[in-house]
Amino acid sequence: MKNRNMSAVRNFIRYMLLAFGTIVFTLPMIYMISTSLRPNGALYEYPPRFFPRIEALTLENYDYILSQSKFYLNFLNSAAVSVITIVLAAAIGSAMAFVLGRFKSGASSLLFGFIIITMIIPGTTMIVPQFELATKLNLVNKLFGLIPFYVSWVIPFSTFMIKGFMENIPNEIMEASWIDGADVLTVYARIALPLASPAIASVSIFNFLTAWEEYPWANTVINDNSRRTLPIAIAGFFGQHQFTQWGYVFAMSVLTLIPVVLIFVFCQKFFVEGLAAGGVKG
Amino acid sequence: MLNRTNRLQILGLLMPGLTVFLMFTVYPIVRLFWMSLCDMSFSSMLSQPFAGLMNYREVFADRTFWTVFVNSIVYTLVTVPGQMVLGLFVAVLLNGIRHFSVTFRVINYLPVITSWVIASLVFRYIFNTEGLLNYFLWKVLHVTGGNIRWLDTRWSGLAVAMILGIWKGIGWNMVIFLAALQQVPQDLYEAADIDGCGSFGKFLHVTLPGIRGTILFALIELTIGGFNVFTSIKMITGGKPAHHTDTLLTWMYYKAFSTGRFGYAAALSFVMALTLGFMAVGQFRMMRLRDS
Repeated sequence: MKNRNMSAVRNFIRYMLLAFGTIVFTLPMIYMISTSLRPNGALYEYPPRFFPRIEALTLENYDYILSQSKFYLNFLNSAAVSVITIVLAAAIGSAMAFVLGRFKSGASSLLFGFIIITMIIPGTTMIVPQFELATKLNLVNKLFGLIPFYVSWVIPFSTFMIKGFMENIPNEIMEASWIDGADVLTVYARIALPLASPAIASVSIFNFLTAWEEYPWANTVINDNSRRTLPIAIAGFFGQHQFTQWGYVFAMSVLTLIPVVLIFVFCQKFFVEGLAAGGVKG
Repeated sequence: MLNRTNRLQILGLLMPGLTVFLMFTVYPIVRLFWMSLCDMSFSSMLSQPFAGLMNYREVFADRTFWTVFVNSIVYTLVTVPGQMVLGLFVAVLLNGIRHFSVTFRVINYLPVITSWVIASLVFRYIFNTEGLLNYFLWKVLHVTGGNIRWLDTRWSGLAVAMILGIWKGIGWNMVIFLAALQQVPQDLYEAADIDGCGSFGKFLHVTLPGIRGTILFALIELTIGGFNVFTSIKMITGGKPAHHTDTLLTWMYYKAFSTGRFGYAAALSFVMALTLGFMAVGQFRMMRLRDS
């Protein structure tokens, strides 16, 4: 009896801690949304309020952002770059992962080790030589010039994740097709790709996030307003005037976050499985 | 099995990835090393005389370098354990409950998917001198006697970036530690029960050794992430005052793109990559040693 009471108390404490933590955790997001819903007049509302007054609630910030054609352009730019990046990364990464995971040799493990080692270097470290390379290849200030760099950044992680999955495909399945006389391409396209699709899906979600939110590189190479992606546009809003119009900044931020949150909520399973596979195996 | 056609096809599958990897990752790394040995700047784009270790000497003699180096180290030393401990704590709580587990997990993961630009602006807004936090501390709780200029001094500015880093990273740690916790064999806990271990003892002697691999993985990934901090510093303090809150990358970026000292920036990047390499090897060794 005592034990049961103890575990009930423990459970209660667990829920209380989680609920408290979750509330504290979400405060910044709630504050962002609430700021986006109040009039944009004052630089800083004083006294600041966490929740806007009900009678003062307004969508004027959203009206303003959505009335500007710039916003749609930035949105489309981000969407195009992100989608092309994840498609290319999925194709290139899964092909590499298939070869490295299924045809083991000294050379292939050496190559894989080499790819993994480059993951130690944070992306932004290489911004100077990459900027020089982009200049040489005439990719500066071009929207689609972002793509090869984004693809190259996500390839090591993608290959690493998909390779683990490729290795776990049972040998019997592969061998049966070899005996049937299938060639490498057929086995890759007909057997390996479909079986690894959960891994490819989860990697693609992460790659989408990377491309969708990327800031330092795009901010460095893109100058034209019409070629800006969303993060650059938001950051630009913030620095544009001496007085930042926080209502606009946060309305645009909320609009930028909506697709990401939708993808996350609907693909939650892939997200969690992908992360778990990387963390537990690694 | 591997006839000519198949060999060619294997090569064909490797080719696109290999090309992208060699061209956009390996070449820049090699080039970075070469640039670090040359006297390279905006004004000398065309002639890049070899300068030996000049850039490295300049980096190490630079007082600002040591400031930003310390900043990066402190940022990493605070945010990495901070995220891991809190993430593991949430994971342990989640592992023990039956209801609402998915709800808690989804909500706690939201900061991870919020972009750095947006999250940084939200934190800047909250910590602004006329912002919500100061009002709350001064006028509601009466613990401060006035508005504190959080963003204008070295350690408080960095602290805001560190709080953001921890806030944004807990969800990631929560998910990978939760997955690891579920892999710890249940019979080990039962054996510990029989030995009379309390819950804390079980955590220390069963859970922690059981998730060691994941701890190492998180440690290495997060250390890299800690050194990669860039956007939040740029958005929250912009390095102010006078580069006191800059980190290695924001300082490198400033040197490269605002002063045009590419050689200096390259040497700095290389020092940083080497530091990280040594740290990763060290962390790996440490965990391996404990294994045996």
